[in-house]
Amino acid sequence: MDNPHNKTFDQELAASLSRGRSVAVPGFADRVVAAVRAARRRRVVLRWSSVATAAAACFVAILTLASPTEASLNRQTLALVARDESAQFADLLGAADDLSLLSPAVDKPSVVEVLNASGS
Amino acid sequence: MLPDDDDDKRLMTLVAEGDDDALRLLVHRHHARLVGYLRGEVGSQATAEELAMEVFIRLHRAAARWRPEAKLSTYLIHIAHNLVLNEWRRRGRKPTTALEFAAEPGDTSQQSARRVAELDEAFQRAIAQLPPEQRTAILLVVQQELPYEDIAEIMGVPVSSVKTWIHRARSRLRELLKDFYGNQ
Repeated sequence: MDNPHNKTFDQELAASLSRGRSVAVPGFADRVVAAVRAARRRRVVLRWSSVATAAAACFVAILTLASPTEASLNRQTLALVARDESAQFADLLGAADDLSLLSPAVDKPSVVEVLNASGS
Repeated sequence: MLPDDDDDKRLMTLVAEGDDDALRLLVHRHHARLVGYLRGEVGSQATAEELAMEVFIRLHRAAARWRPEAKLSTYLIHIAHNLVLNEWRRRGRKPTTALEFAAEPGDTSQQSARRVAELDEAFQRAIAQLPPEQRTAILLVVQQELPYEDIAEIMGVPVSSVKTWIHRARSRLRELLKDFYGNQ
């Protein structure tokens, strides 16, 4: 007869625990798949938002770098100076070195004045 | 038809490739035992289901890295055991309440069914009072019928520790249930 009173402790322990060994939950697999899909969507959203953030950061950086800096202003000034016609003229005549030796550094006379003075 | 172990490996490969139907099959195959084990550990059906859900989400996340060195069922229990440890840490205490246990009457007589339910409840209450290591060890060996080696791997301890915990758990349970068994 299957009387629990007559079973040994170990047998009853095993029997009791084995009754709780397997607890099937209806619809559990569907719940897991739904949770996994939700987690996957969250990961996609996170990935795209980080891409968008990086793109925005690049855009801001481009805008910032495109505005004139002190260095670029200096370059533009030097370019203007280089296009100075009197300097070009002096170079053409080959007198630039002599003139630079003769002229004071602070108040450099124009090439025309120098030529006039040497002609007179 | 493939044996479960081989089929588990095949399904895990598919899960790694993003096949949700393969995941559904795996969950369907393994969730009942997992929930049973977790319910024995935490003493609550709702918490056991929550933790089992987390186990499968972690399994899915790790699918691409998973190597079939151990049986998938053992790997799942391993993840579940780690989650149980986290759960205890989070709660700051060990479960001391008995399970919400509904016995499945196997005997035909009403009295016998009542006796089985009573005994089951007493066992669950006693198991809930065991130290965590002893409870895990006794659940894995008696309830889940895992070999000592697997239990040692899951718990990250030597086999000798597992044997000691199981021996102590049996002694402690016998002591807690002396009203039922006297001093046999």
